[in-house]
Amino acid sequence: MKENNIILHLDNVWKIYKMGEVDVPALRGVTVEIKKGDFVAIIGASGSGKSTMMNLIGCLDIPSKGNILLKNQDITKISESDLATLRGRTIGFIFQQYNLIPSMTIYANVLLPMEFLEYDDKTASEKTRKILETVGLGKYMHHLPTQLSGGEQQRVSIARSLVTDPEIILADEPTGNLDSVTGKSIMDMFYNLWKKEGKTVIMVTHDLKLAEYAHTTIELKDGQIKTINKK
Amino acid sequence: MKLIKCLKHAFGMVLHSKVRSWLTILGIVIGVASVVAIMSIGGSMQDTMTEQLGGLGGDILTLTAGFSRGMSMFGMGDGEGPEGGGSTATDEEPVLDRTDVQALRAIPDIEAFDTQISGSVEVSYLGKSGSVRLTGVDQKVWSRVTTSEIGEGRMLDSADQNVIVIGGKLAESYFDKPIGLNQMVTIEENVFRVVGILDDTSTNIYMPIQMAYQMLDDKENGIYDSIVIKVKDEEKLNETIGKIETKLMMIRHVTEKTKDFSISSSKQMQETRSEMMSSMNSFLIAIAAVSLIVGAVGVANSMFTSVLEKTKEIGIMKSIGARNKDILSIFLFNAALIGLVGGFLGVIFGTILSAMLPALMGETSMLRGGTFVSVNSIIIALSVSVIIGIIAGFVPAYQASKLKPVDALRYE
Repeated sequence: MKENNIILHLDNVWKIYKMGEVDVPALRGVTVEIKKGDFVAIIGASGSGKSTMMNLIGCLDIPSKGNILLKNQDITKISESDLATLRGRTIGFIFQQYNLIPSMTIYANVLLPMEFLEYDDKTASEKTRKILETVGLGKYMHHLPTQLSGGEQQRVSIARSLVTDPEIILADEPTGNLDSVTGKSIMDMFYNLWKKEGKTVIMVTHDLKLAEYAHTTIELKDGQIKTINKK
Repeated sequence: MKLIKCLKHAFGMVLHSKVRSWLTILGIVIGVASVVAIMSIGGSMQDTMTEQLGGLGGDILTLTAGFSRGMSMFGMGDGEGPEGGGSTATDEEPVLDRTDVQALRAIPDIEAFDTQISGSVEVSYLGKSGSVRLTGVDQKVWSRVTTSEIGEGRMLDSADQNVIVIGGKLAESYFDKPIGLNQMVTIEENVFRVVGILDDTSTNIYMPIQMAYQMLDDKENGIYDSIVIKVKDEEKLNETIGKIETKLMMIRHVTEKTKDFSISSSKQMQETRSEMMSSMNSFLIAIAAVSLIVGAVGVANSMFTSVLEKTKEIGIMKSIGARNKDILSIFLFNAALIGLVGGFLGVIFGTILSAMLPALMGETSMLRGGTFVSVNSIIIALSVSVIIGIIAGFVPAYQASKLKPVDALRYE
């Protein structure tokens, strides 16, 4: 029954980039298991391979060698279309740059994942309104992203990531573009998602202070895991 | 994603598109508009022609002397040319004269015929003058044989002498002031009264043939330029032509080879004109189609740029669950919509253009029924432009759908 508790399993994962003639390994044989309901911080200096690892965990990229099991499915062996759906249902992304679509309103941005997953219109609309109220942006529903502050945009992106009720929240430097006060409020939201709602939160950061929120800290160095600390 | 949602997003992309997209659309608009306008004008010209043909009933024949004149539009008749003069007044050139008239009288299949001469004359009215074509007609039969219709006044009568019937354009706008009924017009220093104005756009003058002999210096009394024949039974047109030819060949002492006259039916002429018109039309449409192809290249170019511009958005969409085929659908719909919007605007501009062109061209005699854009040409124009959009947009859309999410997200 132990396996059921493991939501993500990286098994001897390599990622090698080709720079012209030279092969540059970004990850070198990473093996790690992430349990369901854990709050994991992946830390490391720039160039340590943490962004590469995040891309692989998020199924945005496939490894050069090794296997990645997401909910017991090997992502290197399923079709692109199934991978997209698995990604959409299982993982909610939060990016440093918020990555909202600038030509769409806040409402349309949050609605979008559900359109890809073919939710019915009524459910999608209700969920969007509800989640935007929850993150305190109900009144900005018809604004464009550029009309909001950085913190507000990041809350929209959190709303978008949560609206399909994914099991994993994958955040890449979520407070990197925010001031410390706003950053703290965002981190509190993550903490609550983990503590109260039982989400698995995986956060990539170079900020050791943020890593303190996490239960498990994975430190990368030169494409390999240096340490794994659990509280 | 459901297709209807893809369509919605594609529509949003067109609505939010920048000037560039509108310029792309403009490319399609110009192509479609020119094709539509040319199709409509060509169609209307052919309709007018068919109508004229219907009005003629196809029962009118024109007999002229000389072989090459009536048989070829480009004067490329029989190289040997006419030999001998038959029953002619001069030996050099074949002509039509009273002998031929008498021969025609003996053919029972002919209902009536009108002997005509024509030439250029100086006309003046209220101090202004100009050169127009004068046709002398046999006023006793002219009104039965002619295809022209009277607009105001009356046709020529058997008792008429110093009177004329004039073309609609000559009456309306040839001179500074319009010529009305019963006005006096000077032709070669003789004064004539206008008794009728034709419902057409010609500048021709018609007068009794005896008067015309006096007006046209080089014409000899009893020699005709042409004889317009109305046959009794249109169904037996070719048979009648055969009879006339046999008879005339006998009278004029010529054989099939040395034939020195020609008979053209208005039906043949209309058909030749119609053929020329349609090949002219195809040529113009081909030129217009080139601009449509240029428009298509514009769509492809714009789509490639659009994919580049939206690379990051494609990455975002993929990270939140978009499949390759969702992206492909959105971009294909976008390209198709650009085509559709371009096609739609093109049809509108094409319609306006086709309505305005006759006026701009000045020559409206071929478009008397006015131009119209047929439902068919609208459907063709719209579907062609959508198809062009899809074809031009396919490669960029396919590229967009194949972007790796990680690369797309990294794109700035």
